Amino acid sequence: MALIETKDIKKDYLLGETVVHALRGVNLTIDRGEFVAIWGPSGSGKTTLLNLIGAIDEPSSGQLFIEGQEVALLSDNRRTELRNGSIGFIFQGFNLIPVLSAVENVMLPLQIKGASFSESRDRALSRLHEVGLSDFVRHRPDKMSGGQQQRVAIARALVTNPSLVIADEPTANLDSDTSRSIIGLMRSLNEKEKTTFIFSTHDQRVLDRVERLVRLEDGRIQDGGDKK
Amino acid sequence: MIKWMRIALRNILKNKRRSFVTLLAIAMGFAAVSLFRGYIHNTYQGLRESAIRGEGLGHLTIYKEGWLEKGKIDPEKYMFSQEELQKITDLVEEDEDVILATPQIHISGLVSNGRTSTIFLANGVIPRDDKTIKGAWAAFRPVRGNELSDKKTYGVEMAEDLAIHLDLKPGGDGVVMATTLDGQMNALDIEVAGVYDTGSDATNDKYMRVPFKFAQSLYDTEKADRLVVLLDNWEKTERARNRLLSTLSGAGFKCEIKTWNELSLFYSKVKGMFDMIFMFIFSIVFIIVVMSVINTMGMAVLERTREIGTLRALGLKRRGVSLLFAIEGAMLGFLGTILGIVLNIAIWAIIRTIEPTYIPPGVSTPVPLIVNLLPQAMFTLMVFLIFLSLIAAILPARRAAKQNVVDALGHV
Repeated sequence: MALIETKDIKKDYLLGETVVHALRGVNLTIDRGEFVAIWGPSGSGKTTLLNLIGAIDEPSSGQLFIEGQEVALLSDNRRTELRNGSIGFIFQGFNLIPVLSAVENVMLPLQIKGASFSESRDRALSRLHEVGLSDFVRHRPDKMSGGQQQRVAIARALVTNPSLVIADEPTANLDSDTSRSIIGLMRSLNEKEKTTFIFSTHDQRVLDRVERLVRLEDGRIQDGGDKK
Repeated sequence: MIKWMRIALRNILKNKRRSFVTLLAIAMGFAAVSLFRGYIHNTYQGLRESAIRGEGLGHLTIYKEGWLEKGKIDPEKYMFSQEELQKITDLVEEDEDVILATPQIHISGLVSNGRTSTIFLANGVIPRDDKTIKGAWAAFRPVRGNELSDKKTYGVEMAEDLAIHLDLKPGGDGVVMATTLDGQMNALDIEVAGVYDTGSDATNDKYMRVPFKFAQSLYDTEKADRLVVLLDNWEKTERARNRLLSTLSGAGFKCEIKTWNELSLFYSKVKGMFDMIFMFIFSIVFIIVVMSVINTMGMAVLERTREIGTLRALGLKRRGVSLLFAIEGAMLGFLGTILGIVLNIAIWAIIRTIEPTYIPPGVSTPVPLIVNLLPQAMFTLMVFLIFLSLIAAILPARRAAKQNVVDALGHV
């Protein structure tokens, strides 16, 4: 069973009185353990597709299956539980909670899930160690560099051991070296833990480490099955 | 829960200036309500004592049925006879909460110093029972001269302004005139045993206290128009009334019983006015607290929309988002009321130190401004304001929770 399966997904937005067709029928299947980049020019529908796959948005039509479950049939609460348990998010702007330290940010998904403080802390510290931030556990986001913040976000995305991590332009706010380092980190975690990574980018520099590229243009997949 | 409280507290501390203004609004509102509550509590306490002991109303007054309505037209018919008084007194004094039951007769007429005359209203009381009713209150408004005595039945206590009008001092003589129950004119000599301050402009120029026997003699009757009952605790007033009504009715006496607060018009009016002012102040504080918290939380929700989107994406349910902001609101309420308690105690201490006085309307002498500290009322107000802040925070929080996750994440 595929981890993600989309069937003729369409997504329309209303911008004022104009209907914007963000996705015009996307069929995509992603298996467990894949490291997939969705790329294409700005406005091609990358973020929209990731939002749908991440179950934080709903398609206008078509079907989306995550781990065999049709997302449209789930209640808001069940979708939220699905995100908490099975999906990790890495955002372009890092989106760390500013009043929490690095370790508290990483603990958050586990605490939302209901894990105990000590278990959450142990697992968060372990993840922060994996992303090379053992010395920054008590630092708040505003005391860390962009690369460090994104590493915290990666640790947070992985702390629940999700089957899928979605990263929307994770390197857009980072310099070249840090971008390569972040993609390298994601790749190594993918190889080590077989966690599926799907990320969007239009940065050609990071694509050489990606095994599968899905190219979107005008809301359609132009090149969907390529594997490097 | 602790993690959400931690986030809430840190967010409050993060926006120091805004939080401080909100906390100050809650604190000042709390202190205003609590201090005013303490002030009127003390005032009610004073007025209650003044009515029960000062005015000599006791806690309950028993009348023969019909006295209050038709007693003025046919007093004899609606007064208690000696025999009735004895039986009713015995029945009433059997009650476990009753300290004393004493007959009284209210009289009115003219009082003269031989040169000028003026009207008077007097309460005919049994001196030793009157002393029991006054208790420690007697020291608050002492009688200048001598008090009423069983031995000197013509010795009366005269209100201060009345004594001034008649140029009578303790030891001075005068004459009282009134019509007896049969309608005959009657006059008796008096000696002003003592002079006292009623505490009220309205009564200070016409009130007297006379011995019960003297009043009966002036009205040429053996009867009494009321029986005043003193209880061991004012809080038992209502229960005692119901119980005594049932006892007297069971014994075949048709009586009406009025409580001290029903008879003391001054108490009722002042209480009514203060209750209204209290509600007014409370309503203002209510609105200030609600608006402050809604404003603060509304701004917090707006500023943290992306954070809300992130939390929702990470798996926090809608009610979790509501809870997060509700906790923040409740925490603002809690910290605000803690600050309010500090403010309240500080002002209370200043008032205690300065001991200011003032003359309330209708009162003849200055009274001290006293504010009671009411821990139980403060706690209730604290819980109420925390709850109010929580509810006020839920309104913007629910709006935040309902947001589409993608829209929230895209918020700038």
